[in-house]
Amino acid sequence: MPSSTPTPGRRGPRRPAPAACAALLVAGLVSACGTPGSTAANSSADTTAVSTAIPTDKVTLSVLSSDTSETTKALSAAFEKKHPNVTVDFRFTGVDSYDTSLDLTLGSDSAPDLALLNKLGNTAKAGLIRNLDPYVDAYGWDKTVSASELGQWRADGQGKTLGVGKLWAAPAGFSLVGVYYNKDIAAKLGIEPPKTLGEFEQDLAKAKTAGVLPIQMPNMQGQSSYLFQALTNTFQGPGKSTEWAFGNPGSTIENVSATRAAQQVADWAEQGYLPSGANGTDGAAAMSAFTKGEGLFMFDGNWDATAVDKALPGKAGFFTLPGESADAPSTGVGTSLAYAIPSKAKHPDLAAAFLDFMTTPEAAAIEFGSGYMPVAQAETVKTPDNSILKDYAAAWAAVAKSDGLVPYFNNSTPTMNDTLTSQGQQLVAGKTSPADYLKALQDDWEKGHK
Amino acid sequence: MTAAHQPAPRTAAPAPARTQRVGAVPAARTGRRRGPRRQPVAYLYLLPALLLYTAFVIAPWLHTLELSFYRWDGVTAGVWTGLDNYRQVLTDPKLTASLWHALGFIGFYTVLPIAAGLVLAAVIGRARQGRNFAVSRTVLFLPQIVPLVAVGVIWRWMYAQDGTVNQLLDAIGLHSWARAWLGDFTWAYVAVGLVGSWVMLGLCLVLFQAGIQKIDTSLYEAARIDGAGPVREFLSVTLPGLRAEIGVAVTVTVISALASFDVVYVTTGGGPGDTTTVPGLLIYRLAFTGGEVGTACALAVVLSLLISLVVLAIGRLTRERA
Repeated sequence: MPSSTPTPGRRGPRRPAPAACAALLVAGLVSACGTPGSTAANSSADTTAVSTAIPTDKVTLSVLSSDTSETTKALSAAFEKKHPNVTVDFRFTGVDSYDTSLDLTLGSDSAPDLALLNKLGNTAKAGLIRNLDPYVDAYGWDKTVSASELGQWRADGQGKTLGVGKLWAAPAGFSLVGVYYNKDIAAKLGIEPPKTLGEFEQDLAKAKTAGVLPIQMPNMQGQSSYLFQALTNTFQGPGKSTEWAFGNPGSTIENVSATRAAQQVADWAEQGYLPSGANGTDGAAAMSAFTKGEGLFMFDGNWDATAVDKALPGKAGFFTLPGESADAPSTGVGTSLAYAIPSKAKHPDLAAAFLDFMTTPEAAAIEFGSGYMPVAQAETVKTPDNSILKDYAAAWAAVAKSDGLVPYFNNSTPTMNDTLTSQGQQLVAGKTSPADYLKALQDDWEKGHK
Repeated sequence: MTAAHQPAPRTAAPAPARTQRVGAVPAARTGRRRGPRRQPVAYLYLLPALLLYTAFVIAPWLHTLELSFYRWDGVTAGVWTGLDNYRQVLTDPKLTASLWHALGFIGFYTVLPIAAGLVLAAVIGRARQGRNFAVSRTVLFLPQIVPLVAVGVIWRWMYAQDGTVNQLLDAIGLHSWARAWLGDFTWAYVAVGLVGSWVMLGLCLVLFQAGIQKIDTSLYEAARIDGAGPVREFLSVTLPGLRAEIGVAVTVTVISALASFDVVYVTTGGGPGDTTTVPGLLIYRLAFTGGEVGTACALAVVLSLLISLVVLAIGRLTRERA
């Protein structure tokens, strides 16, 4: 399956994990008698001295991850090559059971040295992972990695407000959601990549008139949220969207810009700009349809770029949704594949050295080559001409330049993804109004940030 | 089910019930006469099973009950909140809706497959011998053998925009009916329910076929001599003869309907909107993604109480008739 690379904030095909749940329930329930949760570790080990030295004797760095792309594995291999005495023990768990079992694993004696975080959740609050600020100072990550990119994994002590406070995880590569387009269809319709939102809308109308589906979109896992968020970011600018996604107090999605965005999604659905069966179509089916020429545009993330490039060699392009004017800042939706150092890690300094390795030009090439936007040194990456990857590199550079990366709304609360899915399906089917849609999102937000 | 076996002697039981009990009572008496009934050593034989059952069923269940009185995110210390979680379960429209969806699934998981299973069993059940019987039984039992997750995936493909169901509709000229079934607000619930019917049909059919073989053939001969047609024969001989099997089928399928999770999770994930949410799905979400373990446990307790009540009621109904 080409589109099975789970990325933070991206809802891949869901795989149930009843067995894992059962095991977890038994483990959790048997071990935790008395007041629930009283056995969790609560000491945050951020006072210990840190070192940037890498041990010279034989040592194993254990990495726990749900990354199905080659990124982490390739980075591990490169790190092992650079330090022959280090062995990286890569432990993989499927994304669904990963998130449900992560906190238990981090609290256990078999905690790894590095653990991928799909969301901050209660992990930092429970003292299960280390504050990385000492390493930021030691390695100077604040100078090599842009503040908005590191900010996604900063949180206050309670973990409710993101973007400020201590750093809990370091990025290993970014995802970026934007607009894919089919160059063949675009050429037939005489369409160039749009420079403004107005042009984009004209292109949609042009496609519809010519009998081409304007936007291919799955919505079984709620992917309409990409469309909604891209429009919202464009209307209100990345700053305000980021504040809401981070949970800044007083922020609200029930505003004029988001209402316009939700209305736009509903209108496009009604006008037949979106596929009629979107709610019953999953990501893999929609991507397969897009590569077969069904649809001019598709809102999707970079995790599908390599697969689309293979299916439509030289015939697929990418841009981020343009602003209302041509000189508006570039914005994109994305977050990072990020790794945290557990409090119980046996080799925290070595783990930090691995995180630092992720910011090198060597790592940038690996990250980009395996489908992620590089953490740093993006300008050193080479891309093949006429490929969607080249468009991606250009779009990423523009977004980074205008500091326009906005985290997924889906991750703003633990339940927001479910809410966006359910509400987005209703919005597209005309079963709810934009106002009620936004109210449901805001209600979830209030509940998650109280 | 032990409760269901305890007779209720205070009521004037109808004759058939009494004849059934006649066999049971003397057996118990003779047992008592032969020696002390309570030999302590007998409990030792029960011990291994009891230990396992306590460790893996009773203790987790009691712990679930305990957790249902806390507000707990699964990691940090929980807070005692008394009956708040239960209040939420019974008033939150999303949670109550899921309970109603589960109850509605009884129509698809229980009523449909049992009705269809009875008719099919009556039609093909008479041809007891021969290779065809074994083949048809195997084919029809197949849905029970395939893991439910695989069943869900297969049906998800079949219900897709360009899936088998729509191709079939196209072929018979009903193109306008084609749609992405699992994304349709009106039809998704029915579509998911029918998957349940398909899964349960095999079970019912095998149960009923086995039951029919137990029925004394002389009853069929007598019915035929009395001039009964196939319908009369079915109503007067087959149906009464299958009472016990129907009781089992109802119990098993109702539990599957109320506790459904796998099929819904894989096909729609509760969507579109919240039209196919079931308690099992919400328990999973609340506990593992929502960080509301207490509410999840309360919903689980309510669900298991509901299932126990329904199963008890079924046991009582089928017993009174027997």
